[in-house]
Amino acid sequence: MIALEYQELEMLIVRVREISGFDFSGYARPSLLRRASRYLTKHAMNLSELIVHLEQGGKAVYDFIQELTVNYSEMFRDPDFFISLRSEVFSYLESFPAIRIWVAGCASGEEAFSLAILLKETGLYNRSLIYATDLSERVLSSAREGVFSLGHMRTFSENYLLAEGKHSLSDYYHVAYSQAVMVPDLRKNIVFSLHDLTGDGVFNEFQMVSCRNVMIYFNLEQRQKVFKLLYESLAMFGFLCLGKRETLRYSGYEEHFRIIDTRLNIYQKIK
Amino acid sequence: MGGSSGSFVLFEEIIKLVNKPLPCALIFVLHRGKSSLSELPVLFKSKTKVRMEEPQHLDLLDTNCIYFAVPDYHLLIGPDRRFYLDATEKDFFSRPSIDATFISAAQSGIRIKAAMLFSGASEDGAAGIKQIAEKGFSTYVQNPDFAEVPRMPLAAINEYDKHQILNEENFFDEIRSILYSYST
Repeated sequence: MIALEYQELEMLIVRVREISGFDFSGYARPSLLRRASRYLTKHAMNLSELIVHLEQGGKAVYDFIQELTVNYSEMFRDPDFFISLRSEVFSYLESFPAIRIWVAGCASGEEAFSLAILLKETGLYNRSLIYATDLSERVLSSAREGVFSLGHMRTFSENYLLAEGKHSLSDYYHVAYSQAVMVPDLRKNIVFSLHDLTGDGVFNEFQMVSCRNVMIYFNLEQRQKVFKLLYESLAMFGFLCLGKRETLRYSGYEEHFRIIDTRLNIYQKIK
Repeated sequence: MGGSSGSFVLFEEIIKLVNKPLPCALIFVLHRGKSSLSELPVLFKSKTKVRMEEPQHLDLLDTNCIYFAVPDYHLLIGPDRRFYLDATEKDFFSRPSIDATFISAAQSGIRIKAAMLFSGASEDGAAGIKQIAEKGFSTYVQNPDFAEVPRMPLAAINEYDKHQILNEENFFDEIRSILYSYST
């Protein structure tokens, strides 16, 4: 186990910015330290070896950034959330002629596909558009392919059933070369595109934003900036969905939302 | 304090020992299933008068408070004395992992009164409690001979043999005197 110290981490952040332009300075240090230490341990490197490695630029530094920012997700993560979404949020969205949803920090698309399935089963999918964004082109291209390992699919299927899915998750994918490929029909209203929550701005107005387990990546100041971005991206009475243990506390926007589900952190913009 | 299988009852007994204001923060990391809904502060409510919390992301760490790591997130401690939730991969199939909390505490620069590791079926915690010991803080491991599941304390001792051992005879007395000591 290789343990980095905080001063070393700060130096690493500066070097990565110089080499690649990518700026980790808004990221929560304790998590970043854990990730960087794990990267060193996994690749059997010490800090100076890592820096020499990153100085090659290109793929080396890109892979490092990718590994430190990737968001591990699941389809139908926190099944209760999807039950609440159907009863509390989708019932409200039903009255809209067109529904725009933003999945901010979508990783390989698990959340976007889950929402697509839920929208389909509530008859809303044909008038919905899901914008799924991430800062990594690599995870986006994997998301666009809609390919998942069968091992993961087992967990996702269990989640889907717990989320009171109406069919079987296997109705939404076919198996090819021992992998699960999501059916094209499900992908047709999902737009996967590049967007960095720490640098890019508002690009549309949404009735719902799902940004689950992304805020915990950021430090206090950066987190407030991201909350501002999400707030400004929401239509009035639009819904904000955070992770199971993420609240509006310390966001600066506590007064602008009402709580729809206190346990699952679903909020509605009210001013 | 970290524990897994066989540690829940110990946690409960330790909380009963906390019958007056604590001069430190007491943080428990117990391996729990991700869908575990029972909130430990509610469960232990009748056992102590000291405040109990499941910390949220960025909450400030307070003395005279008992904290419990929530299921499905690692609980990290930052140099700014705030808690950080982390959803990265599991250690030893566990999230929260004891190592994640222990290592972050060791790196935080915050003074650690003591770290303790109890019964459990994995090797989680061994690396973290070693780092705390190497920073010069007191570390205690339950004697594996009386741990309900000895693997976790045993792994910690195998990793580093200078931890102090908590024996069955005076286990709770010793923990109580450590919690309420004011020495550095």
